[in-house]
Amino acid sequence: MIVVQDLVKRYGARLAVRGLSFSVEKGEIVGFLGPNGAGKSTTLRVVAGYLAPTSGTVKVAGIDVEADSLAARERVGYMPETVPLYPEMRVVEYLDFRAELKGVARSKRSGRVDDVLHKARLVEVANVVIGSLSKGYRQRVGLADALVADPPLLVLDEPTAGLDPNQIREVREVIAGLRGTHTVLLSTHILSEVEASCGRAVVIAKGKLVAEGTLEELGELRRASGLRALVDGASADVERALATVRSSLPKMTNEPVISAKEGLVEVVLSWDDASSPRLRDAQKIVAKALVDVGSGLVEIAPLRGRLEDVFAELTRAPKALPDEAEAEAEAEREGES
Amino acid sequence: MRGFWPLFKRELFAFFVTPLAWVLVCVFLLVQGLHFFVLVEQLSAQVVAGGDMSPVSAFFGNTVLLYLILFLLVPAMTMRLFAEERRSGTAEGLLTAPVSTAAVVLAKYLSVLVVYVIMWAPTSLYLVILRRTGALDLHVALASYLGVLLVGAAYLSLGLLMSAMTKSQFLSLVLTAMVILVLFLLGVGELVARPGTTIHAVCTHVSVWAAMSDFSSGIVDSRRLVFYGTLTVVPLYFTVRVVDAWRWG
Repeated sequence: MIVVQDLVKRYGARLAVRGLSFSVEKGEIVGFLGPNGAGKSTTLRVVAGYLAPTSGTVKVAGIDVEADSLAARERVGYMPETVPLYPEMRVVEYLDFRAELKGVARSKRSGRVDDVLHKARLVEVANVVIGSLSKGYRQRVGLADALVADPPLLVLDEPTAGLDPNQIREVREVIAGLRGTHTVLLSTHILSEVEASCGRAVVIAKGKLVAEGTLEELGELRRASGLRALVDGASADVERALATVRSSLPKMTNEPVISAKEGLVEVVLSWDDASSPRLRDAQKIVAKALVDVGSGLVEIAPLRGRLEDVFAELTRAPKALPDEAEAEAEAEREGES
Repeated sequence: MRGFWPLFKRELFAFFVTPLAWVLVCVFLLVQGLHFFVLVEQLSAQVVAGGDMSPVSAFFGNTVLLYLILFLLVPAMTMRLFAEERRSGTAEGLLTAPVSTAAVVLAKYLSVLVVYVIMWAPTSLYLVILRRTGALDLHVALASYLGVLLVGAAYLSLGLLMSAMTKSQFLSLVLTAMVILVLFLLGVGELVARPGTTIHAVCTHVSVWAAMSDFSSGIVDSRRLVFYGTLTVVPLYFTVRVVDAWRWG
């Protein structure tokens, strides 16, 4: 539905997006993640047809956004980050205007406007002038605007920014209601948002793709890995088992943590990324060792990185590679001259 | 021209639901009303009216008030058209809808032109009054209104271009006023420069004074039509290009 290939966007001397490629399949709800200033909004603006790419191509439903901009825009419902609205119009007037502008046939227009008023829960403010609406309502008007022409693809730039928890939940419900019928690309820097609404995430930092995949796949990306086992037995037995483990597995850089938990013994083993063994092998060895010493193994599972950790790890300012650092310095020099 | 009609309607709507348009129309009619009153007073006090000084030509032609009012009103009418959309960010919603840039520009331009015509419309009552009290040459009146329309159309087009070039309404206002002032001063050059020189010829060609005094005497010169037609179309074309260039932000 969306194919972004080698997208570069330059503002004067500053590179906002540097060779970004990703794609979104039909019917997916994809989270577009990244810290502030990573180039999320810029990328979405190119997808929506507001900005022209410096180089690279963006295709929406198979249509190049540069070659046939109007046809591409017709298929995208876009909600900009700041939700700009005309303050002097009433909500229903505005949505009717937007529907007409987006080419919704006259006969269908009032039906569509009614539909989105209900979907975005705007019925009670339908006749209120937009200028006097609260932030939460304005955000919902923006969402209703994106939906009004019933486009197959929705591009939402931080749809829940600035909302209170109840409003966030309502907006998420609206987005969840689109699952299956629409393709959604939504940007955010809030991870729980992705966990709540999205099946997949695309993570960018400094204008580059750093990770892409389902939430489970991203969870596994956490480089530090480990195991957690719950044992019904004496901690002395556990110590004995660990001695065997130590001899047959790569050196554990972190000391094993043994603690009592709800009448059981919890063991946590972890490795730094450099020395990490294949988790499945490690799991077998540890399980066997524990069973061999005669303790009751209740549970053993890999430690999964929480999405927050993954995000922090992926987007933390990486040590720039030498050639990259040079290119950056050069770009800065260009900017100064 | 996709999207022209809804945009045109919205622009007119925006003009008349905000106080700005009403203030402008009121100021305009007040000044023009006073102007007309003073004119009639003067003409009726004269025992013998000057041969070429018909009330119509005096109202439209030999007066500084017409230019003053254009100088004050046009920048205020055009300043928000694009500058406001960009400052508030609504340009983003506008240009991500499936509408052509030409439609956006034309919708904004024609809406402001319609407001301009609406502003002038009540002054046709003066013609009715003149007609009741004396002879009125309808050709002269129509030619005068054509002149007003042409000059206004050109100034509004220039104002629209200035509005597309900046995010600040105030800057747009100042730039438009400056352009109008420069055009006006070039016209003054006609009176200053020595007749027969190139400067004089250029100034006469550009002069809004000369143009309006022609139109208000019933002379419709094709050179004037071409000049103001060009001054309308060229800025519109550049406005389309400027709006397209926003995408390179």
